[in-house]
Amino acid sequence: MSEDVHALVGPYALDALDDIERAAFSRHLRDCEPCRAEAAELQETVTRLADGAWSVPPPGLRDNVLAAIATTRQIAPAGREEPRRAPGPRRLRLVAAAAAVVAVVGAGAVVWTVQDQRVRRAETLAEQARTSESRLRSILAAPDLVVREQQLASGGRVTMAMSRLRDAGVVTLVADGAPGPDRVYQLWTIHGETPASAGAMAVGQTTMVQVIEGLEGTSALGVTVEPAPGSTTPTSTPDALVKIT
Amino acid sequence: MAERGTSGRPEYLTPVPEPRREPDAGALLRAVAQGDEQAFGKLYDLVAPRVYGLIRRVLRDPALAEEVAQEVMVEVWRSAARFDPDRGSPTAWVFTIAHRRAVDRVRAEQAAADRTIRAGAAAVDTPYDAVADEVTGRLERQQVRHCLDDLTDLQRQAVTLAYYQGHTYPQVSELLKVPLATVKTRMRDGLIRLRDCLANGVAA
Repeated sequence: MSEDVHALVGPYALDALDDIERAAFSRHLRDCEPCRAEAAELQETVTRLADGAWSVPPPGLRDNVLAAIATTRQIAPAGREEPRRAPGPRRLRLVAAAAAVVAVVGAGAVVWTVQDQRVRRAETLAEQARTSESRLRSILAAPDLVVREQQLASGGRVTMAMSRLRDAGVVTLVADGAPGPDRVYQLWTIHGETPASAGAMAVGQTTMVQVIEGLEGTSALGVTVEPAPGSTTPTSTPDALVKIT
Repeated sequence: MAERGTSGRPEYLTPVPEPRREPDAGALLRAVAQGDEQAFGKLYDLVAPRVYGLIRRVLRDPALAEEVAQEVMVEVWRSAARFDPDRGSPTAWVFTIAHRRAVDRVRAEQAAADRTIRAGAAAVDTPYDAVADEVTGRLERQQVRHCLDDLTDLQRQAVTLAYYQGHTYPQVSELLKVPLATVKTRMRDGLIRLRDCLANGVAA
């Protein structure tokens, strides 16, 4: 076996090869029994990483899947299938991928012509969201992440996930209901005795995610109900108070 | 490899906080291969949270993840007879299909330069669920996490950028500013170390 090709066993197990290299590596595996064993073992290891991505599936998914399989014909066992030199399935996959690309591009083009202005706004928004999302992920992935949760007195809860290392926190607030007409939830970071606004929700909004930068000197996170669109200092007693240590 | 149930421990002694170590995915999959829809329902309950979670982690967009998760589960049904126990555990087979599909989708979308809008729209539409899951999910993944922590920084980054973000190894090399050959090696020795750690550790 060629050492050179076999060095791809890691990327192969992680699905980190492009189609061409994957095909080359599969050929290599066909001719190399110990390599197959190693690849299988590493793939097995890799799938344990799926444990790290556990998430409750959407409620409708189960029914949809069961309905779909009821009308899906199963394929027969392959016998002792030699690894296939797969022009059939592979081509199909490429065609399917290409079709998906065309569909997506097509849909995009329609939006462009219909609402060019809106798309530009959406793109800016998406760009901002992407930046804040990557920041958010980096905070949540911090090794020293601490998570605190508090009930809201008005019903609901607020969770603060914070990292000293990133010097930042992520607040998720979910209220059982909107706090009434012209009232909004507002977040505060408290430095000593002084609260500073960390953002307010819109009227009628009941969930929010907020990244808070800079925890240095912050002793607590507060939630209050304020007149829309929010106040400069809290005007009511805290609905929840999360200690930051 | 880490499937439970064939080990000697009597079922009534299974500790309570081990909800996902069910007895025998292999038996379920064999039944599914014979067209047993009920067994398929059980298999679904066993693997769907990880299938969906994994796909969503890679794709970011919950709606798209749901669509791909459905394709994957239907594919499991369709090709159950092709599962070969000599080549790995049944759950590994399922998650391999799931990951491959997710990665194919990501790359197709990257090619269409569409991913920014999708990821952005997803972040705008459904931030709460994603984050809440991320936070609670941390508890679920302690063992994997513990073992990931055991890797060198470079090994860990190489493995997670490829697996959870769907990057190819040349992309990982570019992101980490590390030569291609190093990335290949780190992926391989990182996985070997991960394998040894997971084999030694207690079940998650």
